[in-house]
Amino acid sequence: MAFLHFTINGEAHSFEVDAQMPLLWLIRDYAGLTGTRYGCGIAQCGACTVHVDGKAMRSCMLTCGLAAGKKIVTIEGLSPEGTHPLQLAWIKEDVPQCGYCQAGQIMSAAALLQDTPSPSAEEINAAMAGNICRCGTYVRIRRAIRTAIALQDKTISHEQA
Amino acid sequence: MNRRNFIRVAPMAGGGFMLSFSGFAKAITAVTGTTMAADAVLGDFLSVHPNGDVTFKVIKHEMGQGVTTSLAMLFAEELCADFRKVRVEFPAANPTRYPESTLGGHGTGGSYSVIQMTPILRKAGATVREMLIQAAATQWNTTADNCYAENHFIINRITHQKAGFGELAIEAGKLPPPAEPKLKSRQDFTIIGKGQYSKTLPLLVTGKHQYGIDAKVPGMKYALVARCPVFKGKLASYNAAKAMAVKGVLKVVTTKPIAGVQGPVYPYDIREGVAIVADSFWAAKKARDLLAIKWDEGVNGTRSLADFEALAQQRGEHRTDPVGFTGDENAIANIDHVKQSLRATYIFPYIVHSILEPLNCTAHFKGDSCELWLGTQWPEYIIDEINRLFGLPKESIQVHLYPSGGGYGRRAFPDAAIEAVQISKAAGNIPVKMIWTRDDDHQTNAVHPYQRMDYEAGLDADNQLYAWYEKECRTYMWDRKFPATELTTNGYNIPNIRYDFEDLTNDSILQSTAWRAVTSNGWALSECFIDEIAALLKKDPYEYRLSLLKEGREAHTGRTDKISNSRLIGVLKLVKEKSNWGQPMPPGQGRGMAVYPYGNAYCAIVTEVTVHDNNITVNKVTCAVDCGMVVNPSGARNQIEGGVVWGLSAALYGGVPVEKGRATAGNFHQHRLMRMNECPDIEVFFVETEDTQPWGLGELANPVVVPAFLNAVYAATGKRVRKLPCKLDNV
Ligand code: FES
Ligand code: FES
Repeated sequence: MAFLHFTINGEAHSFEVDAQMPLLWLIRDYAGLTGTRYGCGIAQCGACTVHVDGKAMRSCMLTCGLAAGKKIVTIEGLSPEGTHPLQLAWIKEDVPQCGYCQAGQIMSAAALLQDTPSPSAEEINAAMAGNICRCGTYVRIRRAIRTAIALQDKTISHEQA
Repeated sequence: MNRRNFIRVAPMAGGGFMLSFSGFAKAITAVTGTTMAADAVLGDFLSVHPNGDVTFKVIKHEMGQGVTTSLAMLFAEELCADFRKVRVEFPAANPTRYPESTLGGHGTGGSYSVIQMTPILRKAGATVREMLIQAAATQWNTTADNCYAENHFIINRITHQKAGFGELAIEAGKLPPPAEPKLKSRQDFTIIGKGQYSKTLPLLVTGKHQYGIDAKVPGMKYALVARCPVFKGKLASYNAAKAMAVKGVLKVVTTKPIAGVQGPVYPYDIREGVAIVADSFWAAKKARDLLAIKWDEGVNGTRSLADFEALAQQRGEHRTDPVGFTGDENAIANIDHVKQSLRATYIFPYIVHSILEPLNCTAHFKGDSCELWLGTQWPEYIIDEINRLFGLPKESIQVHLYPSGGGYGRRAFPDAAIEAVQISKAAGNIPVKMIWTRDDDHQTNAVHPYQRMDYEAGLDADNQLYAWYEKECRTYMWDRKFPATELTTNGYNIPNIRYDFEDLTNDSILQSTAWRAVTSNGWALSECFIDEIAALLKKDPYEYRLSLLKEGREAHTGRTDKISNSRLIGVLKLVKEKSNWGQPMPPGQGRGMAVYPYGNAYCAIVTEVTVHDNNITVNKVTCAVDCGMVVNPSGARNQIEGGVVWGLSAALYGGVPVEKGRATAGNFHQHRLMRMNECPDIEVFFVETEDTQPWGLGELANPVVVPAFLNAVYAATGKRVRKLPCKLDNV
């Protein structure tokens, strides 16, 4: 057991936990942020995707020991009002079915757009291939990512004008 | 029906008020003359808040099929509500308040929710609308005819006075409900059939939507179970010394095997196991890995999938008596007519559900009562089984309902709930959240029934399809008693059809259960056999299908819904028109077609594939759907798109390998599912109809896309793959 410090969505948290415990369970069961999901526990489905120092990571395979001290962002912290271009695009394209995978999908897509603001179709597929959607909403996710890019561009040109 | 009880105003906590109403209840008659206590038995879908907001109670299970939105739309349409002001809520299970016979109950399956709830909810919405109109008319000293409802207001046609629903609700609730409220006609719809945002979207994209696995109860502990790896095996002994030494572990208890109800309802299975109760999931997981367990593996411990399949083959090839036929039951052997015959065997294997939110349940057994928190398709079944197994009165069993991260039939069974209650009880009546890991899900779970379909076709001297024989061997019976006169065939016009069935339930090496579209998955493989006949006759598969159908003809197959040839033709024509059917393709590419009904909905699909070095890429899938009235167009399309991906996952990667009784594929690295980079473009088109009845479509597309895909693989390669997963190396 170790006393560890975390910054989750800009807030400081400290917990006494097993340093080997995956970050996923700390986020869900200790910090109470349930938007991050368990789907496989071995970095195969992407449901647990969060941002760690700006990079998309599978929180089910990252230990608390390694995550401590890093800046962690979960779906709840992606944007204060839930108005990230991806979230708006997800609503516009009516993406989810059960929704269980969708926080992970959005977090993977957000990291992609941060690094590659105008990804090609192949780049989108490659970046999203780690996120399983059992309900099969892939065609909508693809469309929503393109919609988000358009929204983003609009905001940028608006800001420049 | 006592109309006075149809609707009533009840004070609501927090100073609002509530309109409760019940449809057409037998229950209502029983409470005639009683007073406020009667509320408990009134079905209750709606509350109106003083500010006019309407809360609609979703009694069906939301698992991604979108009932939250579609049911709210049906209700809001007749109410003439502003859909943005309709909120949704998931009430606790209450079989008395929501009886199945009158209000539909909570049971959710068979793509039945919109079918069943449309008449109930439309009438309910219209009833409330007319009462609001009457209340306004009284207030304005005019007649109801002079008033109308629009967008959350009642408006006076003459004076143009307006009053909001919130202002009128209390007075409206005091009025007697109309006996026969008038439903809107379809051309006046402003909500149904129009684009509406899903009611759960804002919560879903911000991570705030709560599933069963998110339930949190004071004092709650976590539980994981090590289940017997072999179906029907038992626990011999275990040593928990190392497990108990893990920090955070509180108790190690055992769970009993239960072979669920074998009677008229749906059997299920709970494997015997050893459960760790700990103060975190992680501690429970670490401890579980340290358990030393000896299993008594029983009859299945030495059996593999190959052993079972050899047995299924024997049974499939052995002739039995028909359970249903039309025409001459022995036509297939009639050498006076049959000049050429064709045989093929198709297999839809065991497949796991891989619901992304794994099975879980939080339970608190309290001695004389119990409380559960979970997402379930059938809380009534849970209550019945807890009553039967633990002796608790049904009224003392409280089930808090959550939406779930996928159901697909798997969550219709009470096993996870019963396991959790066992653990809570054995651990000393404390609340526990039991979670299945993904490996648990893939290795010790109930699966799609194994279906072996043996087909034979007899062609006469004119190459007409004279006789169709098929035998199905399956590992689950449903509540069917065979012999039944049900035929599994499509609605084709074939003079002699015979269907034989053998039950393999007792020979199965895995427990079978409901898996999206259930028996239709195997049955729709007849669309591959039709393709084989067309190929033998050198006919275009589309033209050949049309030649077997007759406008206006209805095929009686013993199912509730007759199969309409006109609607089969309708979707076939639409899919042909939308899919480039008949256009030449380069070598290595192919197009396949299939059509099949589910209930009273119809779907035709054309799939395009490219095959390179035995690797199959699905390029494009075009779907034509006739599901009657489309309630929520975006949601409907989503279900078809998702069904296509579901079916393709099964076609490409389905199947559960079993060695020594153990399902060997653990996590998603061993049991693959379709991912985004493999997902084809999917286009969905709906047949325009005048219907006002919707037919469910959550299970419509996946059985159809599988034969469409296999037929496309044949078109591309000339190889017939007759078993899932589709592996070309083996052909
Ligand atoms: S739960 Fe982490 S990738 Fe699946
Ligand atoms: S929406 Fe259900 S798993 Fe993706």
